[in-house]
Amino acid sequence: MDGQGQPGSGSGGAGSDCDAVARAFVEYYYNTFDANRGALAALYGHTSMLSFEGHAVGGAEEIGRKLAQLPFDQGRHSICTVDCQPSPSLPGSILVFVSGNLQLAGEEHQLRFSQMFQLVPNEQGSFFVQNDIFRLNYG
Amino acid sequence: MDPDAVAKAFVGHYYQTFDSNRAALVGLYQDTSMLTFEGEKFQGTAAIAGKLGSLPFQHCEHQIVTVDCQPSGPQGGMLVFVSGSIRTGPEEHPIKFSQVCTPRPASIRFLAAPPSRSRSPRRSQA
Repeated sequence: MDGQGQPGSGSGGAGSDCDAVARAFVEYYYNTFDANRGALAALYGHTSMLSFEGHAVGGAEEIGRKLAQLPFDQGRHSICTVDCQPSPSLPGSILVFVSGNLQLAGEEHQLRFSQMFQLVPNEQGSFFVQNDIFRLNYG
Repeated sequence: MDPDAVAKAFVGHYYQTFDSNRAALVGLYQDTSMLTFEGEKFQGTAAIAGKLGSLPFQHCEHQIVTVDCQPSGPQGGMLVFVSGSIRTGPEEHPIKFSQVCTPRPASIRFLAAPPSRSRSPRRSQA
């Protein structure tokens, strides 16, 4: 159980790889969300899970449906922070933790949100989203 | 055991320990553990204990608003996503925070013994 692809002490190399993947993923994810939300479902697989404001759905199809049914047509995400760590769960997998703002069309005030992803390597040499948890930060 | 119940028990234990006996938190981490605190990265129990012990406040009180969890993979363990607020003194305004933890089976066994007193996560203030 321990170790499984985890870096040893001084994980600068693995850390910076993880940072680059996380930043690239975050940019792609939120650009796609804002411009072409229907394309997001391709990032998930049949074992994926999404918890959106406490509502949990599983599998790419259900997740795509959930995202399509969100109560806004257009939004714009602006990202404030991106943190990442190698995930202890599966070799090569990455935890990504994002905070930012979401401006909905027609709304005066932005919403603050936090979101976490676990990215898992796929056979094509890229990643898919195994876990996704989203929460608005009120107040 | 129900994963949501495990996650809530873990969260209750983590923040209760943080608020009442912060030095004991290091017992929940191992040398392969990582902490990223406001963008700074720490690995291993010594570094993590050093960071938690050097936070710029002696006393604090966490109030947990939301707890979400998902299984993280076939080897067990879970992803726990917490949001809430922290107050570092009676005159201080609460600061909102979010935190992600990955309790692994060893940590969960730590909590599996029946508690002598049960504590549920604190309800948030209005």
